Amino acid sequence: MARAKHPPIKRDWLGKSLAGLLLGFTLALALSGLAGLLRPGLDGAEAQLLMWMVPPVWVAVLGGVFMFPDGWRAWAWLSLANLVAWGLLTTCLHWG
Amino acid sequence: MRPDVIRLYKTLHTWTGIVAGLALFVAFYAGAVTVFQEPLARWAAAPQATAPGVRPADMPALLAAIAGTRPAAAKEGITLHLPQHGDTSAWVGWHEHAGGRDSPEVNYHAWLDAEGAVQIRQQQPSDLTRFIDFIHQRAGLPEGFDAGEWLMGGISLLYALALISGVIVLLPTLVSDFFALRLGRNLKRFWLDAHNVAGIISLPFHIIMALTATVFLLHDPIYGLQDKLLHDGKLMSAWRQPAAPASSGPLPALLTPEALLQRLQEQAPGFSPRDMTWRTLGQPDASVWIGGHDDRFMNRGALGGFAIVSAYDGHLIRTDVMPGHASPGNALVASFFSLHFASFGGDTVRWGYFLLGLAGAFLFYSGNLLWVESRRKLTRRDQPPATQSRSTHLMAALTVGVALGCISGISLSIAGGKWLHGHVDDLNSWHRGIYYVVFLACAAWAQWRGAARSAIELLGFAALATLLIPLTSLLAWALPASGLWFHEEALGVDLTALAGAAALALMAWAAARRAARGPADSVWSLARP
Repeated sequence: MARAKHPPIKRDWLGKSLAGLLLGFTLALALSGLAGLLRPGLDGAEAQLLMWMVPPVWVAVLGGVFMFPDGWRAWAWLSLANLVAWGLLTTCLHWG
Repeated sequence: MRPDVIRLYKTLHTWTGIVAGLALFVAFYAGAVTVFQEPLARWAAAPQATAPGVRPADMPALLAAIAGTRPAAAKEGITLHLPQHGDTSAWVGWHEHAGGRDSPEVNYHAWLDAEGAVQIRQQQPSDLTRFIDFIHQRAGLPEGFDAGEWLMGGISLLYALALISGVIVLLPTLVSDFFALRLGRNLKRFWLDAHNVAGIISLPFHIIMALTATVFLLHDPIYGLQDKLLHDGKLMSAWRQPAAPASSGPLPALLTPEALLQRLQEQAPGFSPRDMTWRTLGQPDASVWIGGHDDRFMNRGALGGFAIVSAYDGHLIRTDVMPGHASPGNALVASFFSLHFASFGGDTVRWGYFLLGLAGAFLFYSGNLLWVESRRKLTRRDQPPATQSRSTHLMAALTVGVALGCISGISLSIAGGKWLHGHVDDLNSWHRGIYYVVFLACAAWAQWRGAARSAIELLGFAALATLLIPLTSLLAWALPASGLWFHEEALGVDLTALAGAAALALMAWAAARRAARGPADSVWSLARP
């Protein structure tokens, strides 16, 4: 019998849920901002579509966050993703 | 997928489901009823409520007369309701908020008398369907409860989580589970199969509902943050319509409704109008919002969309909420709304959504039953029947009480409206009162009598409550002197309620059989106290 490849997944309900709920939301917000950069200006329909983008991304992160081996890794990876997304967005907004 | 991941998601599915399940049952049952809000409103509308009507040709004169005495109405909008399903004439009405935006609206109804003078009467149209829609949106939480929107936003996220985790749990055995409905000695297996099949068949429907419900409940905070962080506070100006060109000189005369509808017919042949609302009367940008639907397209609202035309010459001013005429971006947004409201494809789609909504309610009901059954303690051989834990008794009774309380409450609120009409001052408060009293009484009854006994009794009660809807119509048809009324065009409501009552009666019979003959160690058995 081969040794198990992965350590058993930790449940960490609180840590993972909060990571998905908070960082998933901020990530979805940043991605909607990046999508908004694809077209200059803002019209009524685009503003609505950018809002509609947020819940699917948020819910997808919230649903997937429990796949992380533990709560710390969930926070670390989602923080990194947020950093990249918000960094890119801020860069584009100021120097784009 | 790794078994420990599956196990984690199974736990997640169980607990998100059990926390959100009862609220979702109410939301889905009331939502299924709301799909047919138009026939239901017709069923409930008293025949005298819409008289006296107005001749379309008199409309410009009537509008001018109302605008003269009611400036608030002229600004907010005065609506001409076109004749629908057997109405004899069109009628004019509007509402005002006497004490500011958040105050309850007061409805008025106006017509021209024989001398051509305007007559204004306060009226109280039945808001039964609006109340059922409110039950749908807030899962029956009381009105005026400010945190209700946030709470339901949380429920919609739990719903989405339950959906994702349910799919992950099912993935490894998806195909084999889909074709399995094992009706054998193991009843838990049967309920699980039924739960899985209902879930898989309606998965696209549930994905739509989870995402749109989250948007509807949480769009305000999302827009607020996006405006602050992404749009530099320019969100409102993106939505504002360009100001009308300032014009000097006298305003042209208003077109009659017939002329406006004819102009619209030329510009948009497939659009079926339902009502027309004149806004900003007396201004150069006075417009008419023609509400209606076009079943060839995705309609943004539950009742359709709006064609917004000039009140003076009838040309289309705005098409952003008009089915088939919106820009691609607006049409895409409209399709999201439409997928929630079932406002596309006409009655075929509506029946589909009605059944999917009921299947959704069944999904949450069966989920709770599975929670109870998974916690079942088995009776060992040669031992007295095992006693089940207090929590399973409590959850079983809660599920029975809430689900059947919601069904009975809605049925009695619908039927009661006809009996109380003309006998009470504020019928709309009675609609609410009946629902909440019946709902709470059923929930309390279930806790008092226990799940097994109350399931039989409350199913019978729900069947009778629902049967009262067609019985009321039957009585009105047979005895017109009773003061009740019957609309032939709303016969579908009676037939649907009759079928629902029959289904509930059948379930009551099945529950009684199970209580008498089923395993004695179940929370559903009457074999022991």
